[in-house]
Amino acid sequence: MARLLDVRNLETRFYTQDGVVHAVNGVSFHVDEGETLGIVGESGSGKSVTVLSIMRLIPSPPGKITNGEVIFEGRDLLKIDEEEMREVRGNRIAMIFQDPMTSLNPVLTIEQQITEALELHLGMNHQQARRRAIELLKMVGIPAAEQRIDNYPHQFSGGMRQRVMIAMGLACNPRLLIADEPTTALDVTIQAQIVELVKRLRDEIGMAIIWITHDLSLLAGLADRIIVMYAGQVVESAPTADIYRNPRHPYTIGLLQSIPRLDEKRRERLAPIEGLPPDLIDYPQGCPFAPRCRFAVERCFEEDPPLEKVGPEHEAACWVKPVGQEVLAAWRAAVLES
Amino acid sequence: MAQAQLSGIKTGLQADVLPPRRHPLAEFWRRYRRNRLAVVGLVIAILFVITGVGAPWIAPYSYTEQNLDAVELPPSLAHPLGTDDLGRDQFSRLVWAARTALIVAPSATVVGVTLGLVFGLMAGYFGGWVDRLIMRLSDVLFAFPGLLFALLIAATLQPRFEAWLLRFEVTKPWVRSGYAEFLVVITALSAVGWPGLARLVRGQILSLRREPFIEAAEALGIPAHRILFRHLLPNALPPVIVAISMGMGGAILAEASLSFLGIGIQPPTPSWGAMIINNFQYWRRPSAPWMLWAPGLVVAALVFAFNFIGDGLNEALNPRERR
Repeated sequence: MARLLDVRNLETRFYTQDGVVHAVNGVSFHVDEGETLGIVGESGSGKSVTVLSIMRLIPSPPGKITNGEVIFEGRDLLKIDEEEMREVRGNRIAMIFQDPMTSLNPVLTIEQQITEALELHLGMNHQQARRRAIELLKMVGIPAAEQRIDNYPHQFSGGMRQRVMIAMGLACNPRLLIADEPTTALDVTIQAQIVELVKRLRDEIGMAIIWITHDLSLLAGLADRIIVMYAGQVVESAPTADIYRNPRHPYTIGLLQSIPRLDEKRRERLAPIEGLPPDLIDYPQGCPFAPRCRFAVERCFEEDPPLEKVGPEHEAACWVKPVGQEVLAAWRAAVLES
Repeated sequence: MAQAQLSGIKTGLQADVLPPRRHPLAEFWRRYRRNRLAVVGLVIAILFVITGVGAPWIAPYSYTEQNLDAVELPPSLAHPLGTDDLGRDQFSRLVWAARTALIVAPSATVVGVTLGLVFGLMAGYFGGWVDRLIMRLSDVLFAFPGLLFALLIAATLQPRFEAWLLRFEVTKPWVRSGYAEFLVVITALSAVGWPGLARLVRGQILSLRREPFIEAAEALGIPAHRILFRHLLPNALPPVIVAISMGMGGAILAEASLSFLGIGIQPPTPSWGAMIINNFQYWRRPSAPWMLWAPGLVVAALVFAFNFIGDGLNEALNPRERR
């Protein structure tokens, strides 16, 4: 499949009064046409900053993209001018955000917010844009779309607002949809509805998706590939099935161990990852996960491991690269003992 | 709307049944009305506007008409508020002075608000050196007591401005007719008025800029000027509207204060401040107290009225005040 997006060695820093925050540190990944990529990591792992850097929406100052390339449809988005970038945003790449309650402008009607991008990017007149907007609202499952289109955001529930956000994102038929934790602020039942909706729309429209989440279980039926981020680095990258069946980075293993499972034979306690992520201002030497890692050896504290191939499409950044179910069991036992 | 509700129920999405939709203006009036004083203020303000606009028809005499046989008369049917030391009808002058105030106060407020909005938006949205420049300028203006600064501007500007106007055939009559005085007072008052509003708007924009819906608009590729005027400005407006209303009362008071001090509006153009200082000598003479009370009470009532309106607007527009 054709390469849609290729991010190479991306590096984003924030120059704050307390020091330089190393938010994204040499992140590389790619997305093919029509593919769904999941990005997983805990809060502050650099997931959001990575995609905001792709969109060039990093608030500057204090933020700055200090290195790297973002090749999208053959162009480096970091090198084109602001005018061209605006043509990409909302048109070729769309983005939906975490909190649907605050991501819609409270003083504008839904119609005004959806039609703006249509008139701007596709040069539609107001009548055409309104018709298309109603069509979009129906597509994302808003009942009585013809009437609801003239409502204000406060007249919608959270789940409905996220549907409106998705409709806005899809308005110009983007090639890539970036979803930044779009279900985090929603109820579990609504979450499932939204995931189903996005899956259906992806299959209808054929766009690629980058889905950011801190919930690894959410990606099981959604993503083709998953990358795991920690402290602004990609620590593991693999097809979804491999991440679940054969994780090779201790952090990924830890994440999987902290998901409750319904098919557990005995009633077992969850095994959390101890400790806290590193301070990104005082960036640690060696592997950033080493202080929390149960497999860490001396080398881990001295040298930062590079991403290395461990399978046909599977990469992990670890000197140890623990393998297999026994390792998982050993981890679990060790955690529960302590 | 009933139809929308029906289809909402049909699809089983009861949580999404439309809330009863009132026209935003009706909703606004419902909340505004709850503050009685604000309604009283609004009535006084409307009377003020009617009086100012209709002065030629309401006033029984001209504001310049003197009758030296009837000076310092107490209130009577012919002269409801008596006459002053030149035998001019007090009521008529009071009515005409409303027109003076109605020209000066809104103009000064509009100019001041426009400056404040533009500078505040620029400072808040662009930040950096634009922000620093505008804010330091407003700091300098803030360092002076407002009225003193307006006095300074009006007093130094007036002779120069009039001399300049007299150089052109077209603008010469403006000096005689008193338009120049109006312009000077409006300039002075708006120069003093804008920094406060600029700071208010800047603060609003700074806090709104980080709102997710602005980030979302940027992610849709909306250009900066559209984000500024279509997405940011309407959200920043409610406190600005309140400030405008309060500023109106302040401008009326400031105009009266300037003419009280003999700067700005000159006789024979009637002004409440000038009427007060003109009749000041009667303060201790119980023979004609009405000459002082009438203009003083009118100014006080209007300042209160606009402040009450401001309070009412604040309650009606501010989501935190909503009950």
